[in-house]
Amino acid sequence: MALPAWLLLLSCLPAAALAAQPFGVDLNGRPIDRLAPPGSPAIVLFFAASDCPISNRYVPEIERLEREFTPAGVHFWWVYPNPEDTSEVVRRHQEQFGIRGDVVRDTEQRLTAMARVTVTPEVAVFVPAGTTLREVYRGRIDDRYISLGQERPSAQRHDLENALHALLANHPIPLPGGPPVGCSIVPRSEP
Amino acid sequence: MRFRFPASLALAACTLMSFSAPKPPIRAAEAPVTWSRQIVPIVYHNCAACHHPGGAGPFSLLSYADARRRGQQILDVTQSRYMPPWLPAHGYGDFAGERRLSDEDLALIRKWVESGMAEGNPAEAPAEPHYDATWQMGKPDLILSIERPYTLSASGADVFRNFVLPYPLAQTNFIRAMEIRPGTPQAVHHSNVLIDRTASYRGDHPADWKDGIPGMELELDGGNTFDPDSHFLFWKPDTPVLAEPSGMPWRLDPGNDLILNMHLKPSGKPETIDAQIGLYFDDKPATSHPMLLQLDDDRDLDIPAGDRNFVVHDELTLPVDVDVLGIYPHAHYLGHVLEGWAILPNGQKKWLIRIPGWDIDRQSVYRYRTPVFLPRGSVLHMHYVYDNSAQNIHNPNSPPIRVRAGNRSVDEMAHLWVQVLPVNVPKGSPDPRLLLEQAWMEHRVRVQPGDSIALYNLASAEAGLGEDAQAADTYRAILRDHPNDARTLNSLGAVLDKSGEAPGAEQSFRHALAVEPEACDPRFNLASLELIRSQFRDADRDFRALLEHCPNDPAAHNGLGLALAGEGDNASAESEFKAALALDPRNFTAQYHLGEIAIALGRPQDAIDPLSAAASENPGDVDTRERLALAFAQAARPDDALNQLREAEHLAPNNAEPHALLSQVLAAAGRLQEAIDEQTQALRLEPQDADGWNNLGVLEARNGKPDAARVDFEHALQLAPDDAQARANLAQLPPH
Repeated sequence: MALPAWLLLLSCLPAAALAAQPFGVDLNGRPIDRLAPPGSPAIVLFFAASDCPISNRYVPEIERLEREFTPAGVHFWWVYPNPEDTSEVVRRHQEQFGIRGDVVRDTEQRLTAMARVTVTPEVAVFVPAGTTLREVYRGRIDDRYISLGQERPSAQRHDLENALHALLANHPIPLPGGPPVGCSIVPRSEP
Repeated sequence: MRFRFPASLALAACTLMSFSAPKPPIRAAEAPVTWSRQIVPIVYHNCAACHHPGGAGPFSLLSYADARRRGQQILDVTQSRYMPPWLPAHGYGDFAGERRLSDEDLALIRKWVESGMAEGNPAEAPAEPHYDATWQMGKPDLILSIERPYTLSASGADVFRNFVLPYPLAQTNFIRAMEIRPGTPQAVHHSNVLIDRTASYRGDHPADWKDGIPGMELELDGGNTFDPDSHFLFWKPDTPVLAEPSGMPWRLDPGNDLILNMHLKPSGKPETIDAQIGLYFDDKPATSHPMLLQLDDDRDLDIPAGDRNFVVHDELTLPVDVDVLGIYPHAHYLGHVLEGWAILPNGQKKWLIRIPGWDIDRQSVYRYRTPVFLPRGSVLHMHYVYDNSAQNIHNPNSPPIRVRAGNRSVDEMAHLWVQVLPVNVPKGSPDPRLLLEQAWMEHRVRVQPGDSIALYNLASAEAGLGEDAQAADTYRAILRDHPNDARTLNSLGAVLDKSGEAPGAEQSFRHALAVEPEACDPRFNLASLELIRSQFRDADRDFRALLEHCPNDPAAHNGLGLALAGEGDNASAESEFKAALALDPRNFTAQYHLGEIAIALGRPQDAIDPLSAAASENPGDVDTRERLALAFAQAARPDDALNQLREAEHLAPNNAEPHALLSQVLAAAGRLQEAIDEQTQALRLEPQDADGWNNLGVLEARNGKPDAARVDFEHALQLAPDDAQARANLAQLPPH
């Protein structure tokens, strides 16, 4: 049964208020206060870590999705939550992997908390709703990894791509078919 | 069916139980688990080989701060046994370097993480292991690099690629250790190095071998000499140096290629694979010769789509006692449970390996902590289960399709390699590896009668064991299906030649040449056969044809030289032997014959150098000493000649010839009595030598003993009544 989109949105996770504090900083240390450009239907936060092999293996896939959905106004952010990923490390990582997208260093892990993600690679999709952002999708990008050590030769189900198509078509957004698999996000504060 | 017990009985049992239950021991408050005391030893021993800066693992775990940051993940991946990577089930083979955490280790890690990951006293921690970014064993004796760096694309499925690294040296070397530096350790899953004795893979891919050739498996041509694969040259990121046991180096000959078979995993960015192989030489050849046996059942691999429990099996009975040194199970993505075991002659089952959840990404060679002894008559078993359902997440086909054997990653394989070292070999018995090869190939032919490669290997083993008639039959069996297989025709010819059936051999060589007129081996064999039969013109023609298609072969130049000498053209023969020496400066045959020709051409001075070189190349060869002595004698160096002949005498005390030659040299020097003694000695060893008696007679006559001379000449005439020389000598003696 297909639910009307509004019903699904309402039933989604609690809306995150647009924070008074910045979300994070860019590679020059400048604070980032706004994630969604005006009129953007959705933002995708891709949580990445420069030293996580699985996260790195998803770089080409995220770039593919970025190319696919940018024309529709979807805005992608490369979010680096781990303390080791300093500006210098991230800059080198972007260079090595040829990443050209927008970067947020999640220095206070506010985005990590807001999106409630736990590993890299993991994605969260938000839609702007007035002054707030609503999370409409959170989890894995596709089903290539079932768990650590359980890897398909190639993905069969493209969860993030399906979610974005559904979102843009105003259809109900399917949930990811399995948990995200990767490297635990390293806590910034002492556990 | 259910049984009912009276309630009282059950109760009584309970009571008894509670009485007999052990009481928990009373312990002092447990010491806290700290990084420095309990965790560091576990991490350094099991994790650090990959998780160090620059290592194959994604992050370092050397410091407390590193480990503390990753604490939760360390807990998760160790409890699930995802880390450290180790596929074999514990207790099914005792392997060196087992990377498996004990239950005690796991409990310690859990306790450490859950109790807040205390550091403890850093002074208690063992020293941090040191990982050198350069070669682990110092600068290698030889470094080989792939011809052209390969760019692995950023994404996509795993890549299997074979790079050819020609061995560039002109001498044989024995390799005691090898290190592979893949260039990008994080993109390389594992590598296998294969020795291509005949450079066949390069020959099969003349246009593209420098770029590497895709493929998961490959077949190489082992050539015509029995030289079985002996070592697992397998590399994975946590085994940077592959050192062989003492006395067990492997061998590289001029003309060999190394094939680096790499399993590469896209990392997310383009990676440059610029692999190098570092080789460390041993100064001595191997004294122990292991051999790799392969069990396989590819022929039965035809797995229906959706089948979750497809089983294949193979077995092999060992004809000799062996120590099993290592094992390497191999399947592709559908392999699920991989097992190997042996049934001993007494019926006992001995597990060799059991992998309950196969994962091609984590394949490895496993070496036994101590060799596993298997007596003759033990049966090796391979038992593999495949899962071709959609539930197998490794399945490369979605939806699943029928899968058969092949070397692409979407095909399957069922192989189990076992490295064995023959032991308890009785003195004087043939090379036990030939017996292993024979048993192995007989088995393969039994399960697949038309397997021409197995038949060929079987025939070669039989020939190696001296079972020439059997070998000839086996070669003929191949020819029934492949009547024009030039290599088989050549090998049949060789084995017929060896058993004295020259006409059959010649026919076989000619047939091979009719099929492949430019083939080197049959042309060489035919020419050699003609040479032995003194058909010098034919041999001349065939050696010339051989050199046209297969140049740079010293043996071919020598053959042509002998043919020319046979035809009486010593000058041309000489230049052929010189050509052989230019290619191989230590070639004994060329040196010997150069010397001989110089003597024949009346240039004894020129014979001295090549014959001296031949003598030092092959110091035990009596014939060479005698020729050299002749050269010295003719060059008026009697003392040197005497030295060589005394050496020859020493080498072959029961050979008459050195004594006879000594006698002549001594006589020429006027030392008549010594000459008589030596000739007497020669005749003691060869009393039927009429010429010898005649010679002795001459010496006695010269020494003023005509009576003794008379007896000798008469003796010669008794043995050879037509001996004109002896008769003439007798006539010249003063009458009684």
